[in-house]
Amino acid sequence: MASETTEWTAHSTEPAGVKDTLVEFLSRKRVLMALTLLPALSLFVIMIVVPVVWTIAASFNSISAFSPEWTWVGLENYRVVLSDPQFGTVLSRSIYFATGSVLLQLVLGTGIALLINRSFKLNSVARAVVMLPYLIPTAIVAYLALWMLNSQWGIINQLLVQAGLINQHIAWLGSPELAMLIIILVNSWKFSIFVTIMVLARLQGIPTGFYEAAQMAGASRFQQFRDITLPNLKGVIFIVLLLRGVWMFNKFDIIWILTGGGPINVTTTAPIYAYKTAFNQYALGRSAAISTILFGMLSVVAALYFYRFDPSKEVRVE
Amino acid sequence: MSSGHSNDDGEEQSLFSAMTSYQTRGKAYTGFLNLLTLGAVLLIAFPLFWMFSTALRPDAALYTTPSSLIPETVSFEQFRTLFTNTDFPTYLLNSIILAAGVVGLTTTAATLGGYGLTRIDIPHKKFFARTIIFGYMFPPILLAIPMFIFWRKLGMINSYPGLILAVTATSLPFSLWMMWKFFQTVPKSLEESAMMAGAPRFRAFYEIALPMAKPGMIAVAVFSYAIAWNAYTLPTVLMSDSSKWPLTVGIQAFLQTDAISWGALMAANAIAVIPSFLFVFFLQKYLLRGFRAGGVK
Repeated sequence: MASETTEWTAHSTEPAGVKDTLVEFLSRKRVLMALTLLPALSLFVIMIVVPVVWTIAASFNSISAFSPEWTWVGLENYRVVLSDPQFGTVLSRSIYFATGSVLLQLVLGTGIALLINRSFKLNSVARAVVMLPYLIPTAIVAYLALWMLNSQWGIINQLLVQAGLINQHIAWLGSPELAMLIIILVNSWKFSIFVTIMVLARLQGIPTGFYEAAQMAGASRFQQFRDITLPNLKGVIFIVLLLRGVWMFNKFDIIWILTGGGPINVTTTAPIYAYKTAFNQYALGRSAAISTILFGMLSVVAALYFYRFDPSKEVRVE
Repeated sequence: MSSGHSNDDGEEQSLFSAMTSYQTRGKAYTGFLNLLTLGAVLLIAFPLFWMFSTALRPDAALYTTPSSLIPETVSFEQFRTLFTNTDFPTYLLNSIILAAGVVGLTTTAATLGGYGLTRIDIPHKKFFARTIIFGYMFPPILLAIPMFIFWRKLGMINSYPGLILAVTATSLPFSLWMMWKFFQTVPKSLEESAMMAGAPRFRAFYEIALPMAKPGMIAVAVFSYAIAWNAYTLPTVLMSDSSKWPLTVGIQAFLQTDAISWGALMAANAIAVIPSFLFVFFLQKYLLRGFRAGGVK
C-alpha cells in the first residue's frame, strides 16, 4: 500500500485526473439515477400507490359523492357489502364473464395466430386486417355492436332472417337470457387479438430447425403441433389465463356501454356494481370498500403469477 | 432415374402414388386452413366494413330493411352533420390532446426509467420488477374510483393535466417494462468507449443509447397511444364537464340523447378508428417487436 501511495504521488498529474474522473463519475451516476428514475417513480407513486392507499383509508369512512366530508364508520362499509346478497351474485357473474371470455379468446386468439403464422399468398394483408381490432377503442367496438345488434334496423337481425335462421328480429341485449353471452362475444371480437399478438410473438420465437428435424424424423403435422408448438405455448397460455382473467373479471367499459348492467341486473358484474355504488347511490365509502376487496383479489392473482413467473429474472442490470 | 430397372417400376409407382396422395391431402389441408383464415378475416373485417358502409349513406337510406350491403348512393352528409351540428370537433380535439399528452409523458418517463434501470445497479431490483408488473395488472376501473376520491380532494376533477396523469398511470407500467427490456439489447460497450474518449455520461446517453433505443420508443409510443385513444373508464369517472370529454365518452352522449342518426354515429366511429388503421399499416412490425420485448402481454 505504502509503495503504491508513493507511486501515485510520484505521477501526481495523472492520479489526480483519475480520481477526479472517478468522483465525477460517481456523482454523475447518482444524478443520473435521479434524473432517469424519478419521473417514472413519482408518477407511479402519485398515480397508483397514493390513490390505492387513499381508497383503503376511505373504505372505513362514509363519504357522499357530493361532498368531500369523511365520517369514520369503522368496518360498517364492509359489513354492508359482505351482507348484501347481491354482492355474491355480482362476483359469480364476474367469474362467469371472465371464464367465458378468456376461454373463447384463448381458442380464437391461438387459432388465428396459428393460421396467420403460415406462409400463404396475401399473408401480409390477412395479418394487417387481423391486427385492426387491437387499436380500435373498446367503446367504439361497443357503439358499433349496438348498431349491428339493433332490434329494428340491425344488420345481424336482417342477415339471420334472410338466412332463415330466425323468424323475427331479436332484441339481443335486451334479453336476460342472451345479454351476457352477447357481451362475451362482442368483447372477444376485440380481445382475442390480444391473445393472437402474444401467441404470434411466441410462435416466431420457435426455431424453424425444430420443425425441420421433426419432419426428417417423419413426424406428422399433428405430432409436430403436439410436441413442438404446444409445449412452447404453455407459458403464454398460463399468462393469458391469469392476466386476461384478471382484466376480464374487472372489465367495465364494454359492459357499461352495451347494457349498463341490465336487463334486470343480469350483466351487473363486480366493477359495474362498484361504479353504481359510487355514482348512482353516491356511497363512495362503500364503493371504496368494494374496490378494496377487489384489490385483495387482484393481489392474490398477482401472488400466484409471481409464484410461477419471476419478472426480475427477465431483466438485468448491464 | 431407375427407368432401366423394370422390376423397380412397381415399387416406384406405388411410392409415386403415395406421394401424390400425400400432396393432394396436403393440398386439401392447406385449402381448409386457407378457408378458415378467410373466415377469420371476414369475421374481423365485416363489422368494420359495415361501419363505413353505414357512415357513407344519406339519412334516408339508413332505416330501410333489408339494407343493401353497399350504399346505393355514397354521401358525406353524415360527416357534414357531425362537424357542423354537434360537439364532435371538441371531442376529437380533446382525444388528440389526451393522446399527445399521454404518449409524450409515457415515452419520456419510460425511456429515461428504462435506461436507468438497465445501466444503474439499483437496490431491490426484484421488488421494482414486481411492482411494475403488479401496476400493469391494475384494471382502469380499480384506479378510477380511487383517483376520483383523491382527485376531488386535490380539486383536479375536470382538469386535463389530471386526466393525462391518470391515463399515463395505466400506460406507464408496461411501457417501463418494455424499455427496461429493450435497453438490454442496446450494447453498453459503445457508450463506454464514448465515455473513455471523454464524452460525459449524459452525451453518451443522448447521442448513442437514445438513437439505438428508437424502435423500442416507437413501440412504447404506439402502445401508449392505443391506451390513451381507448381510454373510456377514467374520463367517464374523472370528467363531468361535457366540453372536456374525449371521443369515446362524447359519442355515448350522442347515443343517450338521440341527438344524431346512427349514420352520423358510425361516421364518428369511422373517424375515431382511422388513425389506428394508419398505425396498424405503418407500424405493425414495431407493435410485434414491442410485445416480443415486453414478453408479458
